[in-house]
Amino acid sequence: MQPFIHIDVANSEEVIPLLDARSRPLAGGTDMLPLMKEGIVAPERLINIKRAGDLRYIRADEDGLHIGALTTLDELDRHPDVRRDYTTLAQAAAEAASPQLRNMATLGGNLLQQARCWYYRGDFHCWLKGGELCHARDGRNEYHAIFDQSPCVAVYPSDPPAALMALEANLRIVGPQGARLVPVAEFLQPPSAERRTLHTLAPNELIVEVHVPKGPSGSVYLKAMDRATWAYALASVAVAANIRDGRAHNVRIVLGAVSNRPIRALAAEELVEGQLITPELARRAGETALAAARALEHNHYKLPLTRNLVAQALRDIMAG
Amino acid sequence: MPKVVKTTINVEGRVSEQFAIVEGAELPPWGEHEELGIVGYPAPRIDGAARVSGEARYTYDVQLPGMVYGRLVRAKQASAKITRIDVRKAKAVRGVVDVMTYENVPDIEMSGRQTRLLSDDVRFAGQTIAVVVAVDPYVAADAAALIEVEYAERPLVADPEAALAADAVKVQPDKPNNLLNGKPRIKERGDVAAGFAAADEIAAVTVRTPTALHNAFETHGCVAHWEGDQLTIYESTQHTFGVREFAAKKLELPMSKVRAVSTFMGGGFGAKFPGSAYTLIAATTAKRLRRPVHLMYDREGENLETGNRGQTLQQVKIGARRDGTLTAIEYSGISEGGAAMGWLPMLEGPASMMYRCPNFRSETSGVLTNLGPMAAFRAPGFVEGMVGLEAAMDELAHKLGMDPLELRRKNIPDTDQLEEKPFSSLPLDECYTRGAAAIGWERRSQPGSQSDGRYRRGIGMASQIWWGGGGPPAYAEMLLNSDGTATVMTGTQDLGTGTRTILAQVAAEELGLPLEQVNVTVGDTLQGPFGPASGGSVTTGSMTPAVRSAANDLRNNLCDIVAQMRDIPQNEIEIRGGMIYRRDQELASVREIMRKLGDVMLQGTGSRGPNPDDVSVVTSGAQFAEVEVDTVTGLVRVLKIVAAHDSGRIMNPQTFNSQIYGGIIQGMGLALTEQRIVDTERGAVLNPNLEFYKLPTIADVPQIENILIDIPDTKANSTGAKGAGEPGIIPTAAAIANAVADALGVRVGTLPITPPRVLEALDAQ
Ligand SMILES: Cc1cc2nc3c(=O)[nH]c(=O)nc-3n(C[C@H](O)[C@H](O)[C@H](O)COP(=O)(O)OP(=O)(O)OC[C@H]3O[C@@H](n4cnc5c(N)ncnc54)[C@H](O)[C@@H]3O)c2cc1C
Ligand code: SF4
Repeated sequence: MQPFIHIDVANSEEVIPLLDARSRPLAGGTDMLPLMKEGIVAPERLINIKRAGDLRYIRADEDGLHIGALTTLDELDRHPDVRRDYTTLAQAAAEAASPQLRNMATLGGNLLQQARCWYYRGDFHCWLKGGELCHARDGRNEYHAIFDQSPCVAVYPSDPPAALMALEANLRIVGPQGARLVPVAEFLQPPSAERRTLHTLAPNELIVEVHVPKGPSGSVYLKAMDRATWAYALASVAVAANIRDGRAHNVRIVLGAVSNRPIRALAAEELVEGQLITPELARRAGETALAAARALEHNHYKLPLTRNLVAQALRDIMAG
Repeated sequence: MPKVVKTTINVEGRVSEQFAIVEGAELPPWGEHEELGIVGYPAPRIDGAARVSGEARYTYDVQLPGMVYGRLVRAKQASAKITRIDVRKAKAVRGVVDVMTYENVPDIEMSGRQTRLLSDDVRFAGQTIAVVVAVDPYVAADAAALIEVEYAERPLVADPEAALAADAVKVQPDKPNNLLNGKPRIKERGDVAAGFAAADEIAAVTVRTPTALHNAFETHGCVAHWEGDQLTIYESTQHTFGVREFAAKKLELPMSKVRAVSTFMGGGFGAKFPGSAYTLIAATTAKRLRRPVHLMYDREGENLETGNRGQTLQQVKIGARRDGTLTAIEYSGISEGGAAMGWLPMLEGPASMMYRCPNFRSETSGVLTNLGPMAAFRAPGFVEGMVGLEAAMDELAHKLGMDPLELRRKNIPDTDQLEEKPFSSLPLDECYTRGAAAIGWERRSQPGSQSDGRYRRGIGMASQIWWGGGGPPAYAEMLLNSDGTATVMTGTQDLGTGTRTILAQVAAEELGLPLEQVNVTVGDTLQGPFGPASGGSVTTGSMTPAVRSAANDLRNNLCDIVAQMRDIPQNEIEIRGGMIYRRDQELASVREIMRKLGDVMLQGTGSRGPNPDDVSVVTSGAQFAEVEVDTVTGLVRVLKIVAAHDSGRIMNPQTFNSQIYGGIIQGMGLALTEQRIVDTERGAVLNPNLEFYKLPTIADVPQIENILIDIPDTKANSTGAKGAGEPGIIPTAAAIANAVADALGVRVGTLPITPPRVLEALDAQ
């Protein structure tokens, strides 16, 4: 591992001046430290923000939910307001990783988790790492994308952000120029030739807060895994809607682990908007959501799987 | 007086004639209904607290003054010749003491997996090509990353089915093809063609099982330490005496100068037999540096180089008469061996001996590829072969319109069809009856008749047969100390199965001491006589009679002494619960007698007697699985496993249960979640870690009901006990696969049965 300097800070304000292309914040460290050990990233300075107490809170008010970036996934899952009014988020946090990891993993770090693609994490200088070639595209791709959005076919691996997108959450980001507010849906972008990351945070910026507007009446997160727990999603779906008079309004359907970023299934949302969602309509919504999907060599199963999850989530949300 | 005897030993289907030295007269076996007070009762592991509290020192934990740490450097290519290896930068790192490559490592010829300790000839990605030694493991790891290697790449083959093609790249260029020994292994009895001609129904299946990685808690490795010309090797091993023999032979040392120690062992599952290069690299480096060398694999290296259960492709065809009587079985299978294969697991074992069938033919091959080499893995061959056989049996039952359990019951073998001998004991019928009752077999549906709801349930079963009787040579010694406590000493190891505990129970039982008064020393070739390798489920069947015989010897010596001290006839003395009696009259405690004698130590020696000639000793059983398939996500959840296994006398239900539970959980992994994933174009293993190699988690583990059959096998040996390490894993995957087929109405023929495979099967339905 490359030598580095470790700097403790006591609050978020101290962080900004220390940030640049050669330094990185260290939150729970559950992704950062493995990446450093594997030599995938090698910052010269680690700015330890774990003790910045002003970044660790959950506040629910009329304005919605304010979550400090240092809030752990475990705290999210246990919070009674989150569980009741923002169910999809609590469920996504609860289904992520393992109890030990959720005690350390922060929401800010989770938003910035790097690809879990096995070539990326292994000994391959692939495109996302700055190389020429995506090894997964013609290699083993059972866990990879079914919506092609960039030269890279890695899926965005984190669970909570799909739920945040269904809840139309925004991020408060602070940089040398001050604060900006950006929807999660815009913050997460496919990588490009110049920016080989799954997000758009500049090196000198810090995520300070996630703001979730007042929640819809119902929401749900469904995650398919290949064992009972402690696995990344094979596919996931976050759905939020207001159910009034037996009909679904303001429906948001977000597909996770199918592309470089969580994807809004707009056509499917339209199909069910204002409708009484019968099992048959739910099934059609699933098909609509996946109409544009294209499987790679080893991930055909993701098409029926994601279709099923959409339909199931819509049925669940109607059932309350 | 010691006697030389010749006896037949069967380890994992490999039968050999062995000489053994047997001390004294063989004890009459404990009878089937004999009342024992300690053996057969649950007792927590005597080393349990040490293990869970961190007090137990494993090989990894050994720390010696001046010790340095080795780091294994892995090849990144799968098939190449190293043209240049530059270690200068690594050597320049502060704290690095030495770097070994093929250029400077001692020239010791190896057999089996490696031909030299280190080589420029790379045959799989992950092969060790260098070892960096430094003052701490982190410096060693940093320096390892600085080694520059240039390769001349060669073509590769990383798919066993592709390796079979006539024009396939050859993994071992000097061989005619990629088959182990150049050709398939063929076994035959009776006339298969006639058998099929006589059949009313024939079922045929094709199944695949994945390459599974052992992933024992503790990785492979050792610490080598010289004191003068005396070498001590601490090694995580399944065979301490094997380590001693291997090191002595390869390093040309007298055996008396080599000591192997494995006090606590973090699991082996078959992959930790001696004979690997790292032991010799550590020993020679330690000698040269005059410092102890700690050399352990990391998880990734472990998963790439130290062994695996090779993937299989199997075709099984079975014919039967209308009434279910089997008329012919034809089995063909390949098992991947990786870049080096010492032997071919007995894939055909289950098909050849599980059920009575006069006409049998098998053709099995080991296939070489440019991937990490295979190693024995808990019931090698039988776990895989049972999946094929039991799939075919279920399909046959379906064709016959017969209950699958009935079909099996009808074909319980009356003799060992390989040895042509009767079994010493084969209570399969009882295992079937009690297992079926516990799972509620009558609830099993007819295939294809499931409901169309989100969840579909199914029940399936599979049988088990395996060896595990053990045999000589195995020795033990016992000491009775002046405070009345006793020590059992044997150099065999406890690889985590509870050997220490049951040896203490046997000694306490035979000697008449309370369990707390007996201690056991294992895992050190200098602190006890020879004991067997812990493989093939032989440790219990080999060691418990030896310990019983040593305890009996000690007991006789003690009785002799008491007789002399009290001037009473020896044969009227009894010892129970630490007290000495003359008939029913209490004389004194063992402690009092020993105290009175002062600074003395009574000794006893014992050995394992020969195996019976006229019977075949096996373990057998059955497992029943109930599963629930989520048709939305494709995830299979196991709801319940019922196990019923015959391992002869159950020495300790608690340690027996843990063996069966562990086997079942590992079998579930093979059935549902575990598979090594390979990029076959690049010859790269993509999941040599615990993130993507998916072991079952505790949340995946269902309710397990283990029925204790507990019939002492009085013909097998003097304790009537047989092994339990491997039987538990043998039928699990097969039973689960059959349960899933019952739930879905179609068979997923490729294991593990992952959500992708379930969803594809449902899609095709
Ligand atoms: C074995 C394993 C399994 C996992 N399974 C799942 C899963 O199933 N689902 C899932 O969603 N996640 C999963 N995770 C990922 C885990 O949730 C993330 O690693 C975690 O959320 C990251 O948070 P952290 O606080 O540890 O971040 P760190 O590792 O500390 O940081 C991650 C990145 O974010 C940056 N960073 C952190 N906080 C900020 C901030 N406030 N502003 C700017 N930059 C910041 C760091 O500089 C770094 O680049 C798993 C992780 C592991 C190791
Ligand atoms: S999918 Fe992305 S991360 Fe994976 S190999 Fe391709 S470019 Fe690299």
